[in-house]
Amino acid sequence: MLAEKYQERIEKIFAKYPDKRSAIMPLLYVAQEAYGWISPEAINEVAALCQIDPTQVKSIAGFYTMFRETPKGKYWLQVCNDLPCALRGADQFYQELLDYLGIKDGETTADGVFTVEHVMCLAACDKAPMLQCNFHFHENLTMETMKALIEQWRAEAKAAQGK
Amino acid sequence: MTDTVRLIIDGVVHQVPKGANLVDAAKMVGNDIPVFCYHPKLAPVGMCRMCLVELGQAGIDKDTGAFQLDDKGQPAIRWQPRLATACTTVVTDGMAIKTTTPQVTEARDDIVEFLLTSHPLDCPVCDKGGECPLQNLTMRHGPGESRFLYEEKQHLAKHYPLGDLIYLDRERCIQCARCTRFQEELVGDAVLAFHERGRRLQIVTTSNPPFDTYFSGNTTDICPVGALTTADFRFGARPWELTGVPSICPHCPVGCNVSASTRLDRESGGKIVVKRIMPRQNESVNEIWICDKGRFGHHHSRHGERLTQPLIRQGGKLVPATWDQALALIAEKISAADGDVGAIAGGMVSNEDLWELRQVVENAHGGKDHKSLGVYPYRLSGAEWVAKVGLSKGSNFGQMGKGTTIVVIASDLSEEAPIWYLRVKNAADRGAHLITLNARPTELDRFAKSKLKISYGGEIAALKSLTEKPEVKDAANVVIFVGGEGLDRAGHATLMQGAASVLTSTGHAGKVNNGLIGVWAGANTQGAFDLGYSSEATESLLNKRPAVLILADADIVAEDAANVSLLAHREGKFTVVSEMFLTATAAQADVVLPRQSFVERDGTVTSGERRVQRFYTAQTPLDGPRPDWKVFAEINRLRTGSKPKLSAAAVMKEITEKIAAYKGLTYAELGKVNKQFPDVGGDDPYYGGTAYENKGGLGVQWPTEADQGKVPSVSMPAVGKARKLESGELLIVPIVELFDRKPAFAASAPLLHSHVPAPYVVLNSGDAKTLNLVDGDKAILSSGGVEGEYTVRVDAAVPAQTALVARNLNLKSPTPAVPMVGSIRKVEVVASHV
Amino acid sequence: MNILRGLLTTVKHLPQEKVTIQYPERERPTRERFKGRHHLKRYDNGLEKCIGCSLCAAACPADAIWVEAAENTDEQRFSPGERYAKTYEINMLRCIFCGYCEDACPTEAIVLEHDHQLSFTNRRDAIYTKTMLIDPPAEGMEGTPRQVEPGVYTRSIPEMQNPK
Repeated sequence: MLAEKYQERIEKIFAKYPDKRSAIMPLLYVAQEAYGWISPEAINEVAALCQIDPTQVKSIAGFYTMFRETPKGKYWLQVCNDLPCALRGADQFYQELLDYLGIKDGETTADGVFTVEHVMCLAACDKAPMLQCNFHFHENLTMETMKALIEQWRAEAKAAQGK
Repeated sequence: MTDTVRLIIDGVVHQVPKGANLVDAAKMVGNDIPVFCYHPKLAPVGMCRMCLVELGQAGIDKDTGAFQLDDKGQPAIRWQPRLATACTTVVTDGMAIKTTTPQVTEARDDIVEFLLTSHPLDCPVCDKGGECPLQNLTMRHGPGESRFLYEEKQHLAKHYPLGDLIYLDRERCIQCARCTRFQEELVGDAVLAFHERGRRLQIVTTSNPPFDTYFSGNTTDICPVGALTTADFRFGARPWELTGVPSICPHCPVGCNVSASTRLDRESGGKIVVKRIMPRQNESVNEIWICDKGRFGHHHSRHGERLTQPLIRQGGKLVPATWDQALALIAEKISAADGDVGAIAGGMVSNEDLWELRQVVENAHGGKDHKSLGVYPYRLSGAEWVAKVGLSKGSNFGQMGKGTTIVVIASDLSEEAPIWYLRVKNAADRGAHLITLNARPTELDRFAKSKLKISYGGEIAALKSLTEKPEVKDAANVVIFVGGEGLDRAGHATLMQGAASVLTSTGHAGKVNNGLIGVWAGANTQGAFDLGYSSEATESLLNKRPAVLILADADIVAEDAANVSLLAHREGKFTVVSEMFLTATAAQADVVLPRQSFVERDGTVTSGERRVQRFYTAQTPLDGPRPDWKVFAEINRLRTGSKPKLSAAAVMKEITEKIAAYKGLTYAELGKVNKQFPDVGGDDPYYGGTAYENKGGLGVQWPTEADQGKVPSVSMPAVGKARKLESGELLIVPIVELFDRKPAFAASAPLLHSHVPAPYVVLNSGDAKTLNLVDGDKAILSSGGVEGEYTVRVDAAVPAQTALVARNLNLKSPTPAVPMVGSIRKVEVVASHV
Repeated sequence: MNILRGLLTTVKHLPQEKVTIQYPERERPTRERFKGRHHLKRYDNGLEKCIGCSLCAAACPADAIWVEAAENTDEQRFSPGERYAKTYEINMLRCIFCGYCEDACPTEAIVLEHDHQLSFTNRRDAIYTKTMLIDPPAEGMEGTPRQVEPGVYTRSIPEMQNPK
């Protein structure tokens, strides 16, 4: 699947590295883009492309938090509540965010728009509370700014669905 | 240049090997630094932090090399401000460590406390309890009371199958990565890996098939907790109830040292039985590893279908008889045969048995006659070359690396001798130049520096080209493995000569870590050759069978298409079979004698590296079966009145007197043990795993002619004529599959039955196309007058006009033992009428 | 005279209640801490407490206990957790009723109760098997082995807690 659909991109990625094994992570990004998450099939495909064991690919996908190993909502909110963030109120912010969306840690909203989970340090301690939405940072958040963002995303999701 | 350096441990100066790992070095001088993730056979990773020590460097006077002293007259040491992990440190001259200071003790206590924050407290039900590194180190270093809350322990899967042999308990795992590193570094098959990170770190496998390598059982030995357990032994016994009896694995020519863990068993009527087979350390044979065939293949010893009584043919049927009746009948028939007596011995027959059997045959002949003593299977030959230039005494694959060239010809070591595969692979990883010469791809090719593809029949030509190769000619050491794939008996003998010629012509014979190894078929095939048995004799015995034929552990009917009807014509012929099970051969015999299994008796076997090794009685023998040597000695007594020996040791003593190569190899000599490194066993299983310390003897390699300074000159045999195949003809090449259906293994390990493939034939894609066959089709293969149904596998890498057939997968319609021309046709699926 | 004095003592005791009892017609109640024959206990739900860990056998100074373990499944469950005692035997001729087994037991499965009338006519009968030692399940409770809901009884010591 991947090999045919993204042949050119994959070839470009392989060209960058001395051996095939090194291309695992860029290829996982390609797979994530194609499937929306790193499915077991995606792992097998990437393993076949890199000519290594699927277990190794699975291990790498599992190590990095930027790979989704389960299907997620359209907006994937990762809130850091490590110690420095927690000192700036991230814990409370996180709980309020969950309450606002009416879900628990790691869950996806019923409409499939938001997935919220807490993660380890995202290296923006000075601007906490902060979160990462689909790999974009949103910093110095308050519940007010957050609510505005959520409504904006919700509207965007609806609009996208309407098309 | 000295090869030792000074290491100061807690103020005492020790001499340790240069370049050693700090944990190893401390261990050698008697200081146990506790470890979980470090293992002497694996590369250090420094993950568990248990080995923290205070590290420093003594000042050294550049001119004299002596330590600079402080005002108290002690070496002046600059200490590092923080603790360092010993396992990731290599000793240098003047290195100093402290292992008992409060800082170190506290660090170790804390590490144990951390490890236990989520380790379940289920030692009472854990299989590792009693031989558990974590348990031992908790007793030694733990704080006694945890500051963490019991309620916050993680609850995870307790019974997670990583395959069908190994179960993972996710709670118990302490994330040391020994298992994943074993698979990745040593086996070269990375089917285990970590997933997630931090506290959520878990061992996973997403491979297909999952954790299913020939060495999977070893991970349970090196696991420092009870996270990995074998399906075979789960809850079988508590470790402190087990007695380890030294034994030798009977399944292949490597001769792995094993320890049979025995205990009384209610289900076996309160007798002593083998509960599990564990590796026993022998650094020059199997180090601390064994393959899964050896680990799980011991259950045949108390299988319900074992023969327990002699059987005599009466009125066309085999009926139970007493030993006296059976032996008297055999003695009578031998006497009546007027010297027309022959014997064929299989791969699991011990040296003592072989010797007494030889006496029977020689007495019948009235003198020495080695033309009637056959080895089975007989496709391998050329043992005289091993006697001349075999692997030199003192060689050790564990020491081979850069500068050594290892050549593997016509053999798939991973299937034929897994531990040789493992050790050759690791020598290659250390820099040895591995050359494989095979007609088809093998597992070992992945690690070979040069893969020379040959055609079946082109082996000698390929060998000739080897002599010119700089990697062989100029290598410091050369070891050659000669297998028999695609060769008949004569072809193998020639190939052995060719290999011997390569060794002598390049001047490699007679030096340590050099020499020739025949990849024999059985655990004691080498011993049979040593004691005067030969494959040539087998061939002639089978061509013209003698009036009395004695077959010990040689299932000639089920294993070779050529012999299916050999025993059926019994007019004036008499066949004696000694077997554990009623095999196809036994079913056609005139007298069947029940044999003992390797765990029920003592004896010696000689490995493919010519190492004579002892095995001991581990299990209460079944009532009935007797050791072969006793049976054959009794036959001799009945015929000649000679007094039978009282013990296997006495038989071996006689062998040492009569066989020059075995001179001095008495039981006492074979039972000797030297200190080995790494030091497993003792009271610190955390270091090397639960492999058993060797207390039963390291065995002795008998010296070759080259070892004694008599390097022969061997000429390279002429390149034979290549076999000409007509178009449409197929060459049936028997290959070896590790897990097969030979009774001694099939009855052994029900656990592994799903791992034994259905009988299969591998075809070249071109041939498959011509024959209108695709992967998975059923086909009838006919060769040597025997037809059998096989599943077709198509592989582009198989040579054209060749069909590879794994031996001993279908004992009802045997495959040929040597390559022969045959044909194949598709099984037409007939639409069934409902 | 002395004889009379002695008789007087006897006479004094005549009206008093008798100290001796006619055993076995009558039995004296055993003391609370009396260590008699072992019982293997069950949980209230009828599952066996014994997990076949063999620690009692290891603790036994007389080598009187023999345990062989096997693995539980949810279809055939004997005890909570993975392990149960397939064989559990105590040789009463060897047992010295010291109670070490009770101390060693991590699940309080083995208890030395008050039965003391042990007699046998041959040595083999002195070996008490698991069926002889185990208490019957409480009234109305199913015995073992039994089929249970998967994933419920995953711990060998179900109510393990932080040490207090």
